[in-house]
Amino acid sequence: MFTLTVNGQSFQVNVPGDTPLLWVLRDIIGLTGTKYGCGIEVCGACTVMINGQAEKTCEYDVSSAVGKTITTIEGLSPDGASHPLQQAWIAEQVPQCGYCQSGMIMAAAALLNQHPHPTDSDINEIQNVCICGTYQRIRAAIHRAANGG
Amino acid sequence: MSEPIIANASALDRREFLKLTGGFLLAITLDAGVSRAFARESVTASITTYIRIGADESITVLVGGGEMGQGIYTGLAMATAEELMVSWTAVKVEPIGAISSWLSAGSGGIRSRLPTFLKAGAAAREMLIDAAAQTWNVDRSLCQASNGTIKNTSTNETLTYGQLASLAATFPVPTTPPLTPAANYRIIGTPAARVDLPPKTNGSAKYGIDTYLPGMVFAAVKHSPVMGGFLNATPPKPSSAIALVALLPISGAVANAVAVVATDTYKAKNLANGVSNNYWTAPANAALLDSNVFLAQAQQLMGRGAAYIAEQVGDAPNDITNAARTIDVTYTFPYLAHACMEVLACTVLLNATTCEVWAPTQGPNSALTTVSNVSGLPKSSITLHPTLMGGGLGRKIEQDFISQAVQIAKALPYGTPVKLTWTREQDMANDQYRPMAAIRVRAGLDNSNHVIAWNYRNVSPSISKQRGANLGATGDSQATEGSTALPYSFGSRKVEYVVHPSPIPVGYWRSVGYSLNAFAVESAIDELALAANIDPLLFRQQLLANSTDPLAARTLACLNSAAAIGGWGTSLPSGRARGIAVAQAFNTIVAEVAEISATATSIHVYKVACVVDCGKAVNPNSVEAQMQGGIFHGLSAALWGEIKWTAGKPGATNFSHYRVLRMSEAPVITVNIINSGAPMSGCGEPGVPPIAPAIANAYAKLTGTRVRSLPFFPGATMGGG
Repeated sequence: MFTLTVNGQSFQVNVPGDTPLLWVLRDIIGLTGTKYGCGIEVCGACTVMINGQAEKTCEYDVSSAVGKTITTIEGLSPDGASHPLQQAWIAEQVPQCGYCQSGMIMAAAALLNQHPHPTDSDINEIQNVCICGTYQRIRAAIHRAANGG
Repeated sequence: MSEPIIANASALDRREFLKLTGGFLLAITLDAGVSRAFARESVTASITTYIRIGADESITVLVGGGEMGQGIYTGLAMATAEELMVSWTAVKVEPIGAISSWLSAGSGGIRSRLPTFLKAGAAAREMLIDAAAQTWNVDRSLCQASNGTIKNTSTNETLTYGQLASLAATFPVPTTPPLTPAANYRIIGTPAARVDLPPKTNGSAKYGIDTYLPGMVFAAVKHSPVMGGFLNATPPKPSSAIALVALLPISGAVANAVAVVATDTYKAKNLANGVSNNYWTAPANAALLDSNVFLAQAQQLMGRGAAYIAEQVGDAPNDITNAARTIDVTYTFPYLAHACMEVLACTVLLNATTCEVWAPTQGPNSALTTVSNVSGLPKSSITLHPTLMGGGLGRKIEQDFISQAVQIAKALPYGTPVKLTWTREQDMANDQYRPMAAIRVRAGLDNSNHVIAWNYRNVSPSISKQRGANLGATGDSQATEGSTALPYSFGSRKVEYVVHPSPIPVGYWRSVGYSLNAFAVESAIDELALAANIDPLLFRQQLLANSTDPLAARTLACLNSAAAIGGWGTSLPSGRARGIAVAQAFNTIVAEVAEISATATSIHVYKVACVVDCGKAVNPNSVEAQMQGGIFHGLSAALWGEIKWTAGKPGATNFSHYRVLRMSEAPVITVNIINSGAPMSGCGEPGVPPIAPAIANAYAKLTGTRVRSLPFFPGATMGGG
């Protein structure tokens, strides 16, 4: 049994300790905004923030998450719309299929924690994959959010 | 489009009515345009869409069709808002599930249905006018619709749509309501915000993989480790599994895969992966399932295979012998995986007499047929919920994963919901791949550098033939699309197609044959320009200016605009070059100019200027996005995309070995939309084909090396971040 703190709430989960956090979030806790894409920490669809840092969760043992602050896309803003990145994402009309966007937004949120006014090369540190090719609008949205909308 | 299938139409209808507090529901069929308005009765017709106007003034367009990022919900609802004479922001859009006659393919989602949605909005508007005219006891010509109200122009009285809705529903539906002239459109052609985006920014959007039901169990699949292999025995159920099920392919009576059912996805995936490979027997020809063998076969067939003649004008093979200068070049292409971000997933709840299915599908009607065939239940007992798709790209037309999920449900007690989720490895190793190909172009120039002969020969597997179709006299049009009816003036032309016999399963990959053929055609045109020592833009301009082809003028306009935006002919920093290409796909013309630099192991694309003529852009915001997305997709494939086969095994089973573009590699793409007024054409796919040849042409200019074998950089990997 592990106790996790996700989006400010406490959850007790009864799974083997090496179960990836991704599947605990989705199958046990029911937070499906965090996506499965590759399972090998390449594509970034499973990105959440752990203690304010972007982390891929598809190979992140649940046991390692105990005692840490986990924020998923569902917890980014209280109303699901008011975070500057969410507003910028709408203003720039970023998503296409949308499947990678939870991970993208969480990676961008972590980036803004570190670099409140990121340069293009800071933004290039985001390694997440988008098959629809929304990168150009993602870049514009991050700049927009950093500049106060 | 004559698929009158709504599984539980009356139940659906009642459910929709329950949301109404008086009001109006207009049901629309694809076949007849507008079918009927209903006040309080059940629906049994082939409803494909609803307009709902509530007494509370809510206006809702319920749109079917597969949303996979192309913006179909928004584009179609815009049309209805246009004719309803309401503002775009006044309309709510809801996806509607049980619509089975839609196929999201061929870049046809919006263009093929727009007339229906326009007509539906117009019909509803006319019925509201009828209701107002009766209420005021005036001639309907005095009644004017605007902004959600009807105005009596003689008294300036107004009634709202909500006030009129219940009465409007009692009037007959006009079959030919007057339509707004395109020149007067207020909404169509403006960049509308997409209605499906807010849930995609907060985790609430539900894809197929996100289906969760009470009491659900979770399944994972393992296919034969060698393509075409089959189970020689059913493995024992792992002790911690709920079930193990041998799975039949979509056609054929011999099981090729197993599913393991467990209490969560991760457990199911590990148990499925753990099933020993010894339970499968490889096919007898496994050693021949090899990309090098396929290429050698293609080279043989290039020389002497029986060919279909897809197009012939004059005697090109003979005319080439009289040419002053010739090219004779062969381009080769690998198999490509779809690699949708969302892996295949399907959820089934089977009972004795009913079945509910949640699937990210581009082909709901095919899905319904699959579920019926596998479950043995009539379609009328099946409810299909097409979910959002995390990418479709042509893969989610296929039925394998849906068939498997129903087979698994059949092996479980009735009433047990089960979700099948493929792993990425299973998804990439068991795709229906874009066909490999070898394409030879022989062409000749006369002393004035006119192309006097063009002989094009394509050797590639046929998707249609592999699926049992008989090919007609001209072969497989999906294999040759993009190589026939070229807008260029060639003296004579011959386009041949030879079916390659490779048994690797092939399918519809975004833009299908166009992506292959555009690379060969537009690379060869550049090679001819080089042979003629003429600027590649000027060479194309001349080929188009001299052409009588109906698309030549529009093609030229796109080329010229792309050249202008891309700075064609202007100076560049050293180490950079530009390449240009233009291609038609699905009646949309796209020209692209790419600016690149290169090292021995990489190409960096700085900018792409893209010009698209789709006749008329309904939502320019979405058209721009689709062009950008198509370019990214085609660029990843050109640089790195390859599924290389060795002894029946694919060389890539995850993104680690199937590299795609990342943020740092993304070019800046500028999109110019030409609203030429030609018949509206699709935009989901046509951005793809021109980018690979534009890059190859730039690379040849920059380095002097002509790349004729894709991908540019085989064997690329993409490490973890």
